[in-house]
Amino acid sequence: MEPVLTEAARADVATAADSSAVSPGTTTTAHEKEQSLVAWLAARPSVILGFSGGVDSAYLACVALDVLGTARFLAVIGRSPSYPDAQWDAARALAAQFGIPVLEVDTHEMLDPNYVANPSNRCYFCKTELWSVLRAVADERGFHTIVDGSNADDTHDWRPGRQAAREHAVESPLAELGFTKEEIRALSRTRGLPTWSQPSSPCLSSRLPYGSAVTIERLEQVERAETALRALGVAGDLRVRHHGDLARVELAADTLDIWLAAPNLRALVRAVRDAGFARVSVDLKGFRSGSLNVLSTAGA
Amino acid sequence: MSAPSFAAALAAHGVVARVEARDALAIVTVPNEGAAENMRDADLRRAVVALAAQHGFKTVAIELARATDDRAALPGH
Repeated sequence: MEPVLTEAARADVATAADSSAVSPGTTTTAHEKEQSLVAWLAARPSVILGFSGGVDSAYLACVALDVLGTARFLAVIGRSPSYPDAQWDAARALAAQFGIPVLEVDTHEMLDPNYVANPSNRCYFCKTELWSVLRAVADERGFHTIVDGSNADDTHDWRPGRQAAREHAVESPLAELGFTKEEIRALSRTRGLPTWSQPSSPCLSSRLPYGSAVTIERLEQVERAETALRALGVAGDLRVRHHGDLARVELAADTLDIWLAAPNLRALVRAVRDAGFARVSVDLKGFRSGSLNVLSTAGA
Repeated sequence: MSAPSFAAALAAHGVVARVEARDALAIVTVPNEGAAENMRDADLRRAVVALAAQHGFKTVAIELARATDDRAALPGH
């Protein structure tokens, strides 16, 4: 089943899609921001983008392609074990559908003991590796500007990866121009991008509490569990948090009543156990971004 | 964080469960699917989350007891 947004979330995006919708505290519409983005991109000789195929980078890739064409724009997929295979497949399919020029490179953050130790600034080490690789690609191919898909909402969150971006002179036009996630979804929908209703998809390492070592085995456990839950029909936001022997499943809050019904819960528990967890729990608040940040060393 | 006091508070609200603390995470293990199904009620979920917070937990998750041995360890079994 397609992991789309829940009905409530889709309604929020529909509001943002209204051409009269404005960001809180501003008078700038989403469409006006897109015009600013077009001008921003047009002012660059050439642009290379860290491309995950997610909502933000997919939208940015399509606008950049329109503005710069294939000679002045390149999207780069940094392949890593910390992202599920399905995501790369989706990124490739999207690129093929929209004619986005793509280069795939491998990143090696799993060889960095600083990353594997999973400190609270783990993302810094991951992004340092990613942007180092992209910087080399940009230099080799003569690309002027490196960009990422960070948006304005991201600037309010704990994002140690931003430091790595700054250190590598990576620019974030969507954040700089004030694009919210909902506006990006709305504009993506207008462009016919299938990603408009796609839930956010941070890396699999984000399912491990800080201090709990990042290992291939643990990442694969999480990936298997989430893939199985999607196959069961779980829609919208989903995270399988890894607490050692215990999985804590976060589902979209407005779907909890469905998944706590006996037959559904039974299937959910079986699917996650089959993925390699001895114990399975369901979070009673439902999904929220960064929920592991408050748990310190739980499950380490 | 106090798992026993949280378990007692849950029992006073009619939720019979074993509580395990892992730092700020409370794992609430219920004896059967019926008890888990009661959590479909959003008001009850909110009440449990609020109780957990009162006992120092930042996150609470419900687990279904896996086997007879698990259930035997639950209050009232």
